[in-house]
Amino acid sequence: MRILDQLGSPLIRRALLEAVLVGSLCGAVGVHVLLRRLPFFTLALSHATFPGVVLAGILGVSVYLGGAVAALGLVLAVAIIGSTRRLEASTATGVALAGAFAIGVLLQSAQSSATRNLARFLVGDILTVNADDLAMTALFGLVVVAALAVFHKELVFSAFDVVGARAAGYSSSRLEVLVLALVALTVVTSIRAVGTILSVALLVTPALAARQWTSSIGRMMVLGAAFGAAAGVAGIAASAQWDVAGGSAIALAATGLLAVTVAIQQARTLRKACISRSVGGRDR
Amino acid sequence: MFRLLVEPFRDAYMQRALVEILVLSALAGVVSVYVLLRRLAFVGDALTHTIFPGIAIAFVAGHSLFLGALFAGLASAVLLTAATRIRGIDHDAALGVLVGAFFSLGVVIVSTQSSYTADLTALLFGLIHTVATTEIIETTAIAVGVLVVLRLTHKELVLRAFDPVAAEAMGYRTLLLDLVVNGLVALVVVAGVRAVGTVLVIALLVVPGAIARLVSERIAPMIVVAVGAAGLCGYLGLAASYEASLNHNVRLGSGATVVVALTFAFVLTAAFSTLVRRRHRAALGPALPA
Repeated sequence: MRILDQLGSPLIRRALLEAVLVGSLCGAVGVHVLLRRLPFFTLALSHATFPGVVLAGILGVSVYLGGAVAALGLVLAVAIIGSTRRLEASTATGVALAGAFAIGVLLQSAQSSATRNLARFLVGDILTVNADDLAMTALFGLVVVAALAVFHKELVFSAFDVVGARAAGYSSSRLEVLVLALVALTVVTSIRAVGTILSVALLVTPALAARQWTSSIGRMMVLGAAFGAAAGVAGIAASAQWDVAGGSAIALAATGLLAVTVAIQQARTLRKACISRSVGGRDR
Repeated sequence: MFRLLVEPFRDAYMQRALVEILVLSALAGVVSVYVLLRRLAFVGDALTHTIFPGIAIAFVAGHSLFLGALFAGLASAVLLTAATRIRGIDHDAALGVLVGAFFSLGVVIVSTQSSYTADLTALLFGLIHTVATTEIIETTAIAVGVLVVLRLTHKELVLRAFDPVAAEAMGYRTLLLDLVVNGLVALVVVAGVRAVGTVLVIALLVVPGAIARLVSERIAPMIVVAVGAAGLCGYLGLAASYEASLNHNVRLGSGATVVVALTFAFVLTAAFSTLVRRRHRAALGPALPA
């Protein structure tokens, strides 16, 4: 394991810390993404933050600010296009996604000699994370987790029973916007670590793995966070071992975790089915 | 006006780019209507990402990118169709996982090469100005194949889109029909992704259909409008990108300019159709109470 020899380097330690922070944040938020069937929206968000990030690079302001503003723009665009009623949500999301991403590429191509940065924003560059980025990640993560904790009951209620939540006096549209904003904030936070495209992997995969183990939402979020953090550490280790891109290694590690989980669960169900069949046979 | 619209296409490379865009528009315009009917925007976007490792492997191994994309495209169409049928796992979640896994696999493979960021950029965004005649022929062959299959299965596909239960009851295999549609979408992505890049392909698969849906509710006119809109925006986008790059010293990526033109056309159509319907409603008088 080369990662153990490299632990002395602050570069690797910062990367590990960032991977754990981003992984656990995405794992927890991902449970809500699954509950509300938002994976496509998340993918669109991750593409749409791209023009904001490029623009921020051109103007010389923080990439987080640019990404957040662009994400907000996408939420608005999807809402407006979706309200025309003749187009359903996935088409509206697709149109907004394509337009936003193209604007990003256009901005980028109008600039000179910036192709290196382009790929860096798309797939992340976790080994260059500095102390400021870490502080930013911790701060954003804290805000998102706090919001999820405070509104936990309302969010779960409205996700499972929109009509019931509305009848009980909760504004379901306001809660929906809250979730979208939290997902957007999470995507923006993970740009440095895994890039814009791969944040969807971290937001969906660990949460889906957690869902195979428990049906309690709270426990699912804790488990999702643990899976996300584990994928982060494993990804950084694999990246150091074989010298491959860090963000992608993290996403692949998460996929591996999910594959193992699904295999174990399948084996369990098969065994249960076999046992119940043999018990049933004896009864007869 | 003449200078802006005709002059850019004097050079052979611009003519090739235009032909490629027009063939692709005709193909993607038709398929985009089916994508809209079946709500496959996410599947289309997923396919643009899942094809990536095939291209990456072909790139690293020095094989034809086209074959790599073709193989990965068909394989991922099968995988996506299977993934949306797993019980207990939501379609969207399964697609999200596949996108993440396949795309990162591609990035990992490309990242083993030393010049990886520049290569990655080229793979992601395509270079339409370097389109060769053989690539145009490949695109045309795919287009003809896809359109023939669509013509043959049109009725079944529309039935499956509007009433899956009836389709199943009538003895059609919906799994097979889904496989056909996803395979066709994959072929469009394969045809487009190498020449014009991921960004443009997903736009061509979604936006023309959306524009057409705003204009009409019937399938045949929708197909005509979608193809027309895609072709027109492809043409204008190329001309605009040429003009900006040559005479105004602003380098606009041609693929991205086409997508922005398409998005602009969508916004115009949406505004116009809202206006027309509002006037229509006003002419009819106040709506009856429900």
